[in-house]
Amino acid sequence: MSAPAKKVLLIGWDAADWKIINPLLDQGLMPTLNEFVNHGVIGNLATLRPILSPMLWNSIATGKRPDKHGILGFMEPDPQAGGVRPVTSTSRKVKAIWNMLTQRGYKTHVLGWFAGHPAEPISGISVSDLFPYAVAPMDKPWPLPPGAVHPEGLRDTFAALRMYPGEVSEAAILPWIPRAAEIDQEKDKGLQSFAKILSENCSIHNAATWILQNQPWDFLAVYYNVIDHFCHGFMHYHPPRMEGIPEDKYEIYKDVVNGAYRFHDMMLQTLLDLAGPETTVLIVSDHGFHSDHLRPRGIPLEPAGPAVQHRQFGILCMKGDHIKQDERIYGATLLDVTPTILTLFGLPVGEDMDGRVLVQAFEDMPAITRIPSWEDEAGECGMHPADLRMDPAAAQAVLQQFVALGYIQPLSEDQEKAVALALREQQYNLARAYLDSRRYQKALAIFEDLVGKWPDETRFMQQLAQCDLALEKRAEAKDLLRKLMTLKPKVRGSAGQGGAPREAEPRAETNANLPAEAMVSRKPAPSEEEEFKARPWADLLMGIIQFEEGDMDAALACLLKAESADPHLPDLHLRIGETYLRLKRIDDADRAFQRALDIDGDSPEAHLGLAVVRLRQRRNEEAAEQALLAVGLQHFLPLGHFHLGVALARLGHINRATLAFETSLSMLPGLMAAHRWLAALYRQPGGDLEKALRHQEIFFRRRREVRAQA
Amino acid sequence: MITIVSGLPRSGTSLMMQMLAAGGMPILSDGERVADADNPRGYCEWQRIQQLAKEPGCIDEAEGKAVKVISQLLFALPIGHSYRIIFMERPLLEVVASQAEMIRRRGTTGAPLTEAALIAGLKAHLNQVNAWLAQKRDNLVTRVEYHSVLGDPRSAAGKVQNFVQRELDIECMARQVDSSLYHKRIQEA
Repeated sequence: MSAPAKKVLLIGWDAADWKIINPLLDQGLMPTLNEFVNHGVIGNLATLRPILSPMLWNSIATGKRPDKHGILGFMEPDPQAGGVRPVTSTSRKVKAIWNMLTQRGYKTHVLGWFAGHPAEPISGISVSDLFPYAVAPMDKPWPLPPGAVHPEGLRDTFAALRMYPGEVSEAAILPWIPRAAEIDQEKDKGLQSFAKILSENCSIHNAATWILQNQPWDFLAVYYNVIDHFCHGFMHYHPPRMEGIPEDKYEIYKDVVNGAYRFHDMMLQTLLDLAGPETTVLIVSDHGFHSDHLRPRGIPLEPAGPAVQHRQFGILCMKGDHIKQDERIYGATLLDVTPTILTLFGLPVGEDMDGRVLVQAFEDMPAITRIPSWEDEAGECGMHPADLRMDPAAAQAVLQQFVALGYIQPLSEDQEKAVALALREQQYNLARAYLDSRRYQKALAIFEDLVGKWPDETRFMQQLAQCDLALEKRAEAKDLLRKLMTLKPKVRGSAGQGGAPREAEPRAETNANLPAEAMVSRKPAPSEEEEFKARPWADLLMGIIQFEEGDMDAALACLLKAESADPHLPDLHLRIGETYLRLKRIDDADRAFQRALDIDGDSPEAHLGLAVVRLRQRRNEEAAEQALLAVGLQHFLPLGHFHLGVALARLGHINRATLAFETSLSMLPGLMAAHRWLAALYRQPGGDLEKALRHQEIFFRRRREVRAQA
Repeated sequence: MITIVSGLPRSGTSLMMQMLAAGGMPILSDGERVADADNPRGYCEWQRIQQLAKEPGCIDEAEGKAVKVISQLLFALPIGHSYRIIFMERPLLEVVASQAEMIRRRGTTGAPLTEAALIAGLKAHLNQVNAWLAQKRDNLVTRVEYHSVLGDPRSAAGKVQNFVQRELDIECMARQVDSSLYHKRIQEA
């Protein structure tokens, strides 16, 4: 059987979000994408936590979570020059899709991918993420950094494809910022930021179109960061006008974000024309970007703090032969991209990958083959030699050894601080990645270490408390919360605090690209003293503990206290709703989950909560609808499938209900109620008595065990 | 032409510098780091080389001479010069043991790694250095095994003379190798 795709074009639009795209499609302002989605499938692409782009784009490219691929943040120690540097391709521990395809003889190209420097020696052209950055004024030489282009022989060709910020003309600026002439460029650096971001992405686009026009290819991956950078720089000017944003600035910059999307639409048309109709095309983003009432009031003073603006759903669009047309698919995560591309080429999926093939996007069920791991496959794959891929922490230790021997000068105080911060943040991000994948014990060990070393970092204590909660170590969590209550507020910018050292902040997510005016004009985060006094999140956590200890009245009191201080706290209304459910106050629970959906209409947990409410109200069809929405937004939601099963069973859809219960058990094998339901459903006429007995036996055994433990 | 003596710390770089000096090669050294129990005949170092990353121009002073540039600092060598690099090699187990002894005497704190992890780290570092050397095709490189110098100093001196393309006093170079001293230290290691 031939592979479903001859060629695959993977386009990365960092931070692209349906919430902005849909109105533009409705207004006819993204005609190319509109045509694309009418002939392909679309869906949300659930992200991973922490929502940090280098980690996410490497998960997209490998199908693996960050603990496996090894890219753990924006910065890493630089063992050659000392200090820190942006994360590199030599720190990635596993093969990316372009390595797997190189290994199987496909002509493969990759452009601008996060952590792509130095360029990898793949079968085609590799252009690193350091390629487009303009580091010199127009009248000065602008050499490409060593290792920015593979093969080396094309270095001069690609150097000539770059665009200087100074080449961004008035004609290019005015469609985005019609009132650019009113900007006082001495005070407001917005135009300079704009030109820099635009020119860098034009450089990447030039490189992509050159390859499509001049090189043979089977696979091309190209990454653009315009949307993410413009959103970080200009989203607070996006309509509707946010409180605290001056009207004159709003009028000047309000169209920039929409302009970024329209610009991508134009670039997309060129890419599609050059790629040809026989190409299967995927457009993906690593996360969304809050663009409405959920825009944060300020940016936390901590490394990678701007990531608070990221939304948990990116976009997925896919079009090509054997792909469904004009359909929406549900439950996709960014881990699914690489397994799906492998299947498009008829190649096996690694069993060690964390994602799955998006079979729901195919017209017919594709043939899926598997191998234990691509890492064990022999042959040239175009990664850097294994001995060049050095763990940055180990490299830093070797450097410390040379300093101790007196052969190398110690790092400067700033460099040392930057290195310590980079290593600390990598550990923090690793622990959060473990937390995200429910590997709580692994997360716990790291959080405990971080809290021991940096006892004043409240975010570490907060995460540790959440980890304790997940592990049902409620007493430890309570202790931590009490300790937090006694901490004195931090002094802003003092040494060792989260927000102090800005030098280790990421390039892509930093405020460096923000217009200077914007930095001062937007509403700042509440002062730490204010936050400290309120401590709504501490009340939230304490409420969760009370809930899990079974004291619903105390839980509700804590949660309502948190609500009065910060009604927008993530998950707060879900917890309030769950507490009302336990108190059998169904109408109050209904209102709480509705409130959660008012805040975030894409919350799978809120839809799940409403499904439970509707079941209690015996409104079974609505319950099924809500449960379907929940699992559509987040496929790995065992209770979502369970409650869907209950609703379907009540509606008499026995087969579909059985499938839903089986799905819930595949995700959560200890879900006793699902065994009980299946035991009953399999006893129905036309069922399977053997299965019924097996589920019944499991149910009774588990119940005995639970009672014995109690 | 600049002659660079390089390698890991404690791989025999000081010995090679002493041999070159004895053979008549001008060396760039400031004598700031004085002889001690770890290097009884001195280090033959030029402390300013530690600033190479910040002041790449300082290497100009080594033109026509030999200078010790530890492996880690090779990455900072600026283009614009012609380098001949004598790269010393010694078994990593010995290197690590010797480094540990030196760190103990200096009272400093080394890498927070086990011996095995440190050896792995040094291997990875050497791989990066070798990759860098392979990239810089304008530079000439010769590798000299520490034990071959101890075992047959004259042959080693001859090899170095051929490499630097300069008349050196082979006998004087060979006499710098006090094999009893080095053998004792290997046993200690």
